[in-house]
Amino acid sequence: MRKRWSLRLERPATMVAASLLLASVLLAGTAAAADRIPRLNGKPDFSGIWQTTSAADYDLEPHSTRKDAPPSAGIVVGSVIPYLPAALEQKKKNFAARDTSDPRLKCWTLGTPRGIYYPEPFQILQRPEDLTVVFEFGHSVRTIHNNGTLHPTEKNQYWLGDSRGHWDGDTLVVDVTDFEDETWLDRAGNYHSEDLHVVERWKLLDANTIDYRAAIEDPNVFSHSWEIEVILYRHREQDFQLIENYCFTLDNDKYYPLPAAQ
Amino acid sequence: MNRTETQRDARHVRRAGHIAAALVLAQAVGMRPAWAQETPARPVTIQPAPAAPAAAGTQAPQPAIRWEKTFPQIGSGKWTGHRLPDGQPDIQGDWSNSIANHDNFTDPQGGTPGDPVRRKRPLGPRAERAPSRVSYPADGQVPFQPWARAKQQELAAGFWNATRQEYVEPLARCYPAGIPKSFTWHGFEIRQFPHYIVFLFNSGTRIVHLDGKQHLPANIKLWNGDSRGHWEGNTLVVDVENNNSKARFGRTAEFASENVHVQERYIFDNAGRRFNYEATFTDSTVYTQPWTATIPMRRYVAGDPQDGWHYEVPLANHPGKELIADHVERPCIENNGPFGQVAIPKK
Repeated sequence: MRKRWSLRLERPATMVAASLLLASVLLAGTAAAADRIPRLNGKPDFSGIWQTTSAADYDLEPHSTRKDAPPSAGIVVGSVIPYLPAALEQKKKNFAARDTSDPRLKCWTLGTPRGIYYPEPFQILQRPEDLTVVFEFGHSVRTIHNNGTLHPTEKNQYWLGDSRGHWDGDTLVVDVTDFEDETWLDRAGNYHSEDLHVVERWKLLDANTIDYRAAIEDPNVFSHSWEIEVILYRHREQDFQLIENYCFTLDNDKYYPLPAAQ
Repeated sequence: MNRTETQRDARHVRRAGHIAAALVLAQAVGMRPAWAQETPARPVTIQPAPAAPAAAGTQAPQPAIRWEKTFPQIGSGKWTGHRLPDGQPDIQGDWSNSIANHDNFTDPQGGTPGDPVRRKRPLGPRAERAPSRVSYPADGQVPFQPWARAKQQELAAGFWNATRQEYVEPLARCYPAGIPKSFTWHGFEIRQFPHYIVFLFNSGTRIVHLDGKQHLPANIKLWNGDSRGHWEGNTLVVDVENNNSKARFGRTAEFASENVHVQERYIFDNAGRRFNYEATFTDSTVYTQPWTATIPMRRYVAGDPQDGWHYEVPLANHPGKELIADHVERPCIENNGPFGQVAIPKK
């Protein structure tokens, strides 16, 4: 009797104590995860092979299931891309022709930010002065200059843009300009002009997870700036490596190589 | 949507203009590594470049490119130069081969046989030009089996009149130049990282793995092969398998098969200004014996004159006085709308 009473009395106290203990362990764990991110010269080290698990490349905006895309809530903050009226008409045309007009079907370089959330791995190789981003798709290469240099004084047209980064605490902020207008943002025909301007924010949530955000503006296409947010995961399979995917060569594959012996 | 060649050329002009402007501004010498502080060794003999079009099918005039006829041997041995924090010899930066472009594999300064553009002066005796890139066997020729020699000669003959699709040299379609041709197609950049060395060519990118993992499964075939490397003193040793062998070695159409195994030795001088590339090709389905290619390279640094071929790296825009090389997107890395569009017959 007494024992039972005692238990009744003590149980809430025990639970409170256990909860407090658990909470402190969780908090410590969270703090430790942030502390344990890999670093290079004191800054977060993004080196590794990364990939999204999202359906972002099918359509950045929310969409129901359709024959060529799984359903997804999208990765656009606020859900809707703020197209200018004429640009929205162009986007609709792109969408209608997406089976043939998506530049990815020609294996053209995906552009920025599309390469980041395209469903093939990409590798970041980091030095203090820059990040080399190699995309498996097309084996294209983007350099994020992180050495205090500025965009070139004259305008250029690059498929992946001209990327200049700086650190904001533990967040890598990258300003990207000087684009081509021949890339799309996804398979649904979302697009941009040469005046695209992207500001990326890369942050390690823990050693194996990147929170990737990008603010996108283009005065020819959008009425105002809008944002995307997507999570990238590290490939942790043993001996995982990029396998160069020069898919633009496939159309003429049958002419090469020569037979080994005759 | 497709950009015209004129627009593309205009883009290059804009870039060139930027380079020129940057050069004018770039008078001050900031901090530079040891190998950049002295005048780099110049070729012993200088002669005008053989025809070296930046892009097949374009007729833009090319600046004179300096080629040397001879080059120093570099012995394998200790590395006494600068090391990176992970212990690797520091060989990062911009490089280019010092003798010739891809016109001719075994007579590198001899031009491409059958070139319809008349030479400005007679070719002269063979001995006056740089040696064959085939350093072994001694005759300087790829030891092809008879069928393979016949095929190489057929392809070489078809180069200037591509009546069959297989006569179109893959690089003319802007496909990766592979091994070893990438080393004779414009300057290139080496970047180093713990466990990796990355080559950035104008015709593709190659990642060498230094972490000892096994090659990819044998049925995976790649334009640049699958590269596993390690350091032996001043020498980077790279083992290459999984080569799709779609790339050719030059406009003279030497080739390997998918069975080829390549053992590369990159031998760096301790001053950090040069390296010699030596690669042994073994492929019993194409050759009668293993053979070795040797390609000499020299370093270029920020502030070196732009020559439109070996060194095309602009100076970065920044408020300081230090000369910083700015590595922008390379023309053939992206491959969207390759120059092959004009090199390939319309039919």
